[in-house]
Amino acid sequence: MTQQDVTRLQGIFGRNPREPGSLIAVLQDIQREFHYLPREALSETAKALEVPLSKVYSAATFYSAFSLTPRGENIIRVCKGTACHIKGADLLLDQLESGLGIKPGETTPDLKYTIEVVNCVGACAMAPVMIVNAKYHGNVPCNRALRLVKKA
Amino acid sequence: MVHITINGKVIKATEGEMLLSVIRRHGIEIPALCHHEAIEPTGNCRLCMVEITREEWDGWKKHVTSCLYPVEEGLIVSTHTPDVIEIRKTILDLQLANCPDSEVIQKMAEEYGIYKTSYEVVPEGDNCIMCYACTRICEVLGRSAISAVGRGHRKEIAPPFGAEPPDCIGCLACAQICPTDVIPWTDRDNTRTIWDRKFELISCKECGRQTIAREFADYLIEKRNIPREYFEICDNCKRSELARKMGEIVARAQEVAI
Repeated sequence: MTQQDVTRLQGIFGRNPREPGSLIAVLQDIQREFHYLPREALSETAKALEVPLSKVYSAATFYSAFSLTPRGENIIRVCKGTACHIKGADLLLDQLESGLGIKPGETTPDLKYTIEVVNCVGACAMAPVMIVNAKYHGNVPCNRALRLVKKA
Repeated sequence: MVHITINGKVIKATEGEMLLSVIRRHGIEIPALCHHEAIEPTGNCRLCMVEITREEWDGWKKHVTSCLYPVEEGLIVSTHTPDVIEIRKTILDLQLANCPDSEVIQKMAEEYGIYKTSYEVVPEGDNCIMCYACTRICEVLGRSAISAVGRGHRKEIAPPFGAEPPDCIGCLACAQICPTDVIPWTDRDNTRTIWDRKFELISCKECGRQTIAREFADYLIEKRNIPREYFEICDNCKRSELARKMGEIVARAQEVAI
C-alpha cells in the first residue's frame, strides 16, 4: 500500500464512526475508492473498528458487492438471463471478450475494465442488455458492444 | 420455578432454562450435534427438535429446536413422537449425504435406522456440518481467529485469506469442540500445527512432556492473571508433587502420633 492509499484509507475511517457497526459502510467506501478490497485495507479496518480480522474477512467474502481482487474502473455487466440469451447475449459477450482480452470475472491488466455476467437485470424487453457502470444499454447489436464500452 | 410435562411426566425446571438441558437432565436421550455447554445455543444442527403443545392450544402443536426454547409454565413436550422421529430421520439422512465419512453421524443415523443416505452424496464434501461450534468457541475465548468464509453452498470455515490465522493461539478448542472432528491438527516434537500455523509447545520442566502452546499460555497469563510458573510444570508432575507433599505430612503426623 502506498502512502497515498494509507491517507485515503484514513479518510474513510475518519468519515465513519469508529465502531464495529460501521464495518459494512467502511467496506463499501473502500470498495468504491479502490475498486476492490486490498488485503492490507482489511487488516487496517479490523484494527480501526476493533473487529476481529476473521469477521471482516467473513463480511468481505459474503457480499457479492465486495471483491478481493482488483476490479476495473469500468464494470461491464452482460446480462445472460433467458431473454438476453435468446437475443444473442453470447455473441455480445464474445465480442467483449475478444476485444478486451479477458473472460467474465476478469479484469484487464491496465485495471480499466471488468466483465461480469449477471443472470437477469429485469429489463428483458430491451434484451440483450449490457450495463456499463450504471448506464443501461438495451438492444445492443454485438458489433456495437465494444464501442459502447470504450465510450464510457 | 416452572412446571412442564415431558413425555407425560410433570417436571420442575428453572425459568429461563432451555428445554434441551431439562430433557437431558431427566435422562431422556435426544441427539444434538452443535450443542455445547460452553457456547450459546444456535439451533444449527436441528437434531434436538421436539414437539411442544399446551393445554389451551386445543390439540395444536409445533416443532421447535429444544436447545433454543426456554421452558415456560404449562408446556407439554414430547421428545419421541412419530413426527419428531421422522424429522430427525430426514435431518440425519441429509447429513449423511453431506458427510458420508463421519463416524458420529453414521452412528446417529444407524440409531434411527438409516444405514445409507437416500440423497445424492455431496461430491468432494468434507465432514463439516456448518454448525459454527468452532467459530463460536473461538469467539468465547476472545480470539475469533476463524470464521465463515464465502456464501451459500460454497461457504466454509476458514482463517482470513486462507492463510495462517494471526489471532490463533493454538489452543485446539475449535478442533476439540467440532462434533464431526474435521479440523486437522498435529503435535509433533515441540510443534503443534493447526490451520497451517505452527506453535511452539511448552515442555514440562520436570518430565519434559509437552503441554500447551506458548501463545496459549501467554494469553492465559495476560488475560486470566495466571502466574507464568503455573505453565512450567505439567499437570501430572503437579499431582505427583502434591502427592509427595501429602505423603510427607502424613508421615510427619504418624511420627508425632508415635
